[in-house]
Amino acid sequence: MAALQLKRVVKRYGETTVIHGVDLEVRDGEFVVFVGPSGCGKSTLLRMIAGLESVTEGDLLIDGKRVNDVSAAQRGLAMVFQSYALYPHMTVYQNLAFALENLGTPRAEIDAKVQAAAKMLRLDALLERRPTQLSGGQRQRVAIGRAIVRNPTIFLFDEPLSNLDAELRVQMRSEITALHDRLGTTMIYVTHDQVEAMTMADRIVVLRGGRVEQIGTPLELYNRPANRFVAGFIGSPQMNFLSGAVAGREDVLLGIRPEHIALGATSAPSLTLTATIDRIEQLGAASFLYCALAGGEKLTVHTAGQVDLASGEQVEVSLPVGATHVFDTSEAGSALPRG
Amino acid sequence: MRNLAAMLSARRGRGKPDWTDWLSYAYLLLGLVLMFFPVLWLVLSSFKSAAALNEFPPQLLPYGQKTVEVAGHEAPLPLYRVTLPDGAVRELAEVRRIGIQATLIDPAAPEQEYKVNIRDRKPVREFRLALGNYTEIFNKFSFGTFLWNSVFITVVATLITLLFNAMAAFALSKYRFAGRDTVFLLIISTLMIPPTIILVPNFLVVSQLGLLNSLWGVIWPAVATPTGVFLLRQYMLTIPDELIEAARMDHASEWRIFWRIVMPLSAPALAVLAIFSVMWRWNDFLWPLIVLSRTEKFTLQLALNAFQGELTTEWHYLLAMTVITLVPVTLVFAFLQKHITTGIAASGVK
Repeated sequence: MAALQLKRVVKRYGETTVIHGVDLEVRDGEFVVFVGPSGCGKSTLLRMIAGLESVTEGDLLIDGKRVNDVSAAQRGLAMVFQSYALYPHMTVYQNLAFALENLGTPRAEIDAKVQAAAKMLRLDALLERRPTQLSGGQRQRVAIGRAIVRNPTIFLFDEPLSNLDAELRVQMRSEITALHDRLGTTMIYVTHDQVEAMTMADRIVVLRGGRVEQIGTPLELYNRPANRFVAGFIGSPQMNFLSGAVAGREDVLLGIRPEHIALGATSAPSLTLTATIDRIEQLGAASFLYCALAGGEKLTVHTAGQVDLASGEQVEVSLPVGATHVFDTSEAGSALPRG
Repeated sequence: MRNLAAMLSARRGRGKPDWTDWLSYAYLLLGLVLMFFPVLWLVLSSFKSAAALNEFPPQLLPYGQKTVEVAGHEAPLPLYRVTLPDGAVRELAEVRRIGIQATLIDPAAPEQEYKVNIRDRKPVREFRLALGNYTEIFNKFSFGTFLWNSVFITVVATLITLLFNAMAAFALSKYRFAGRDTVFLLIISTLMIPPTIILVPNFLVVSQLGLLNSLWGVIWPAVATPTGVFLLRQYMLTIPDELIEAARMDHASEWRIFWRIVMPLSAPALAVLAIFSVMWRWNDFLWPLIVLSRTEKFTLQLALNAFQGELTTEWHYLLAMTVITLVPVTLVFAFLQKHITTGIAASGVK
């Protein structure tokens, strides 16, 4: 178990800067998720922590010790790759035992550790198989098992669930969370899926273009997004953005999540607008209304249950003032105090 | 067996054989005869005695004269079909021959002798393999030494070739370093230089190193092959980098990554290179001819060459030796050909 610290970490490939000075502190035993759109540098950052990419500038500290120049093999971390990267010519047992053999662990100890990990991940019956004879979920478990056997100080996951089908993904998600609860090891998890981030993380780091946009617990990010990007990235469907003016400031963006908009009038102080329904999606337990406002701006509304409306109809929607977010219209789109 | 039958009766459609089927089979048969008949002819001839080889018209199968043991005579006597003066035809054994007069006896009744003109007797022949060709070369010449020299050079050179070329290919395919592409291009560009051009410089180097008349003088200049580096590098490029990174995360040293991950996964390409290397080294003639001048260091190919005397050539031994030199390459090819096809198939998928 270990704590991790990144101080002004920069990564450059020739002239191109892909990581622009990232500061981050991961506490011992914490489950931190890096999330962001593809190309945001989250995988690069993880690979730098792993030691597979060099750090151009800044410091990388594990338990207070600078490890910039320590090789991946010596850092004592374990990584689960997106493609699992199981050794295809070895059996499951050999895959699990490889790291321990490299460390010169005695045979009996290797056997005990492999058997224990296999039991924990329900791989006992598959030890003599080769990776090609396993299903996607089983391969995923072997990849995790390979990380577990040598008790790493930090687990790194690089989009480990993206190759699985939806059902299996939900199952593996809870298995990884359960694993974290059981082992209590620091884990860093990279994903582009905000649902994975929200459900698994102790803290989420939102990245964009090699910069940290916001760090916080899932609910902090949801309730108090630091800027327009985070607000749009966290939550599904996306937050609605309407241009408008608030007291003391003209020309701002007003953000409100689809699930906070109510149909018809409400008692709470709110902004009431009339919208035309473009399209309706009825999911049974919930309904999504895709509407257009008079000015042509789009508005998505999420209501519980089923609605008796049709496209083309006009509806009255209420935007509760307490649930709105205000952002400036600049490139950064920083959040402003609610006016 | 069923696969073989299915392969031999494969047809274009499901119904009756099409005319294209006949054409393909005719073409394949022609190829088979063209390619295989000389080899078959060689193998059959290698079992012929020296006399049978000189026979005209030549026979396809090896034949030898039938002999019989007759009481009172030490050596077995050759059998002849004799037309006696009275017109009867009998099989008799020849005791002696003086000029055109031959003296023969009946093996069943050896007391009576028949004297006949040698034109009236024809040898009785039977199918017989002259296995002596094979057994005698081991005693008559230092064939065992030649064989050992050839095997030693081939095996050692192939092992070193595989190791060195794989290490070069690993570095060129999996490490990022300045000048990598230049190095690779340099290695590949040596393919454009014909070996005969570097024959003299090579000889000077080997001579300076004191490796003349040493088997290592044949091995060392041959182990670094651009073809091998190219072949293995291209194959190793298809091994995902993530596997190597995973091994690095698994505390593996670079040597262990090479030995435990990259080498086993390159097995198909290594098999192809092994076959090439065995064929190259086994059939190599010019370079060993230059480096090795003492008879006890000769390889089989050099021995075969030395065997063709200025005045006489003992063809029956030469043919037997040629067959023996063909065997290892054939075996290597037969056992490793599965790897060649899987190698091509694997590199074709990804």
